[in-house]
Amino acid sequence: MYDFDWSSIPNALPFLWDGMKISIQITATAVVVGILWGTLLALMRLSPIKPLSWFAAGYVNLFRAVPLVMVLLWFFLIVPHLLESIFGFPRGSDMRMGSAMAGFALFEAAYYSEIMRAGIQSVPKGQMAAASALGMNYGQSMRLIILPQAFRNMVPLLLTQGIILFQDTSLVYVSALADFFGAAYKVGDRDGRLVELLLFAGAVYFVICFTASRIVRRYQQKLKIA
Amino acid sequence: MITMNKVSKHYGAFQVLTDCSTQVHKGEVIVVCGPSGSGKSTLIKVVNGLEPFQSGEIIVNGVSVGDPKTNLSKLRSTVGMVFQNFELFPHMSIIDNLAIAQVKVLGRTQEVARDKGFKLLDRVGLRAQAEKYPGQLSGGQQQRVAIARALAMDPICMLFDEPTSALDPEMVNEVLDVMTELAREGMTMMCVTHEMGFAKRVASRVIFMDQGRIVEDDSKEAFFENPRSERAQQFLAKILHH
Amino acid sequence: MGYNWNWGVFLQPAASGGDTYLGWMFHGFKTTIALSLSAWLIALAVGAVVGVLRTVPNKWLSGLATAYVEIFRNIPLLVQLFLWYFVMPELLPESLGNAFKQSNPFMQQFLSSMICLALFTSARVAEQVRSGINSLPRGQKNAALAMGFTLPQTYRYVLLPMAVRLIVPPLTSEFLNIFKNSAVCSTIGLLELAAQGRQLVDYTAQPYESFIAVTLAYLVINVVVMFSMRWLESRTRVPGYIGGK
Repeated sequence: MYDFDWSSIPNALPFLWDGMKISIQITATAVVVGILWGTLLALMRLSPIKPLSWFAAGYVNLFRAVPLVMVLLWFFLIVPHLLESIFGFPRGSDMRMGSAMAGFALFEAAYYSEIMRAGIQSVPKGQMAAASALGMNYGQSMRLIILPQAFRNMVPLLLTQGIILFQDTSLVYVSALADFFGAAYKVGDRDGRLVELLLFAGAVYFVICFTASRIVRRYQQKLKIA
Repeated sequence: MITMNKVSKHYGAFQVLTDCSTQVHKGEVIVVCGPSGSGKSTLIKVVNGLEPFQSGEIIVNGVSVGDPKTNLSKLRSTVGMVFQNFELFPHMSIIDNLAIAQVKVLGRTQEVARDKGFKLLDRVGLRAQAEKYPGQLSGGQQQRVAIARALAMDPICMLFDEPTSALDPEMVNEVLDVMTELAREGMTMMCVTHEMGFAKRVASRVIFMDQGRIVEDDSKEAFFENPRSERAQQFLAKILHH
Repeated sequence: MGYNWNWGVFLQPAASGGDTYLGWMFHGFKTTIALSLSAWLIALAVGAVVGVLRTVPNKWLSGLATAYVEIFRNIPLLVQLFLWYFVMPELLPESLGNAFKQSNPFMQQFLSSMICLALFTSARVAEQVRSGINSLPRGQKNAALAMGFTLPQTYRYVLLPMAVRLIVPPLTSEFLNIFKNSAVCSTIGLLELAAQGRQLVDYTAQPYESFIAVTLAYLVINVVVMFSMRWLESRTRVPGYIGGK
C-alpha cells in the first residue's frame, strides 16, 4: 500500500498560489478578449458582406478543428520566432506569458463566436424589424437591441465555457510555464511527492470548477423562470 | 373486472385522488369526465400501476395492483391503454409498432405477431399504411394505430386517456367510431373523455370527478338527465352549450 | 524574412532507423487514430450506461452516475492524464502496479492515455445520452410500460433507439473532441501526432513545415469524421419525425 506523505504541501502553498494567480490571469484575459473578438467574429459571420463572413467562418472552423495543444505549441515555438524575425525582438526573450494569453484568447474566440452567433440568432427576428422601424440603423440595432439580449441569453454558456477554459489553462504545461498545475507538478517532482501533489491539484480544480458550475446552473434556472 | 376501494394518492401535500371507489364489470363502458385537474387521468393511470398510489386497494382481474409482489409488467400486458398523444414509437414502422410487444412481452413469433397486426390494421382501416412510420400519418390515423396496437395484446379491458383531445376536430370522429365499435363488441372500457356524444351513445355508466373525488357514479341516463351535484350540473351546462 | 522553406525535408531519412520524417509523422498519425478510436468505443459503452443510470428512478443509482459525471467533468484533462499515468500505478495493488511499470513505455503511455480519454469522454457522452432520453416525450415511457414492457425492455426497445438517433449530432462534436484531446497525451511522452510534430521541429529545424503538416493532418481527421457522422445521421433519420417535444 502506498505511504502518503502530505507534508510538502503546506510549505509549497505560497508557490502554488503564485501559480494559481497565473492560471487566473490567463483565464481572465482569454475570457475578456475571447468574448470581444468572438462577438466581432460572430457579427462578421452573420454579416451580408461575403468576404467578412468567409473570413470568420474560416477562422472559426480552423481553430475548432485543431487541438488546443497544437495551437499552444504554435504560440510557444513558432510565433515568438516569427516576432523575433519580424520585429527584431532580442533572441530568447521570455514571451511565454504573452504567448499563452494570446494563444488562449485567439483559440477561445472561435468557441465564444459560436456561442454568440447562436445567441444573436436566438433573438426573435421581429426585434430587428422593430428597431429599424424606430429609425435605428444596423449598428445601433445590433449594439442597443440585439447584442444585449443575445448576451443575456448566453451568459450561462459563456460562463460554462469560462470554466472549461480555466481547466484548459493547465495545458500551458507544454511551455513549462508555472501555472497552478505546473507549480504543483514542480513541487511534486522536486520532493518526490508527485502522487500527493497531483491528487491535491486535482482536488483543488474539482472544488473550484464544481462550485463554479453549480453557481452557473443556479443562475441558469433563475434565468429560465424569469 | 376492476375494483377500486378507497384509493388515495398525493404528491407531497397535494391531494390528487381522495377515497375513490368504484367497480367496473365485464363488458361495461365507463366514461370518466370532469374539469381539468380533477384527477380523471390519474384515476385510470393507477389502474395499471403507471401512477403509484398511497392508500386503498385496486384489484384488476383478481390481481392487486398496489401489492409490491405483483408483477406489474404482466398485469399491464393484459390491460390495453391508449394515450392522449398516441405515443407510437417513432423509430418503428406501423406494423413493427403493433408487433414489438407481442414478440418481446408475450413471446409470440414475429410471424404470428405481424399477422395479427395486419388483421387489426385492416380492422381500423389502415392496412395500406403498415410499412409507413408514425410521423408520416395524420393524428387520427396514429390514434387508430395506437388502438390497434393495444388490441394486439388481446387485452381483457382497455383504458383510454383523452384519446381525442390532441386531435384536430375533423379527425375526432374516425377515432370515436373505432371506439364505439369496440364498445359494441363488448370490450370492457374505461374512457377519460370530454366527448359527451360518445358517452351518451355507448357508456354504461358515467363517473364525474372533481378535486380528486368521485362525485357522481351513475348510469348515463341518470347522469345526463338528472345530475345530483351542483358541480356536475355546471360542468354539463358548460360542455353541452358550445 | 530569411526562412528557407524546404518541403522536401519530409522525404529525408530520419535521424534514427531507416525511416523518413514523413514516416515519423505517419506513425504519429496512426497512434492518434488508434488511441482515439479505442478510447471512443469505451467512452460510448461507459457513457451509455452512466447516461441511462442518470435517468433511472432510483436515487442511489442516479446519484452515483451524477457523481461520476461531475468528477470527470470538473478536473482538467491534463490533470486526469497525469493521475492515470503517475498516480494510478502507485495506488494499485503492488503486483499490478509493478507489472504496469515493467511493461514497455509505449504500452504504459498508450494504456494510461486510452483510459484517461475514454473516461473523460464517457462523462460527456453520458450527459448527451441523458439529455437525449429526457428530451423524449414522457408518454413514450408510459406507453411502453403500459404494454407490459419491463423497465429494461422499455429502455432497450423504445427509449434508447430514439435517444441514440437524437444524439448523433451532438456526439459528432464529442467524437471530434476525442481526436483533438488526444494531443494532450503528448505530455506524458506518447508519440502521437502532436508529439511527432514537436520532435520534427527539434530534428529538422524546419518548424513551419512540420507544424503546418501536423495541423493539416488534424484538419483531415476533422473533415473525415464530420462527413462520416453526417452520413450516419442521414442513415438513421426517422421518416416523418421532426424532433422531440
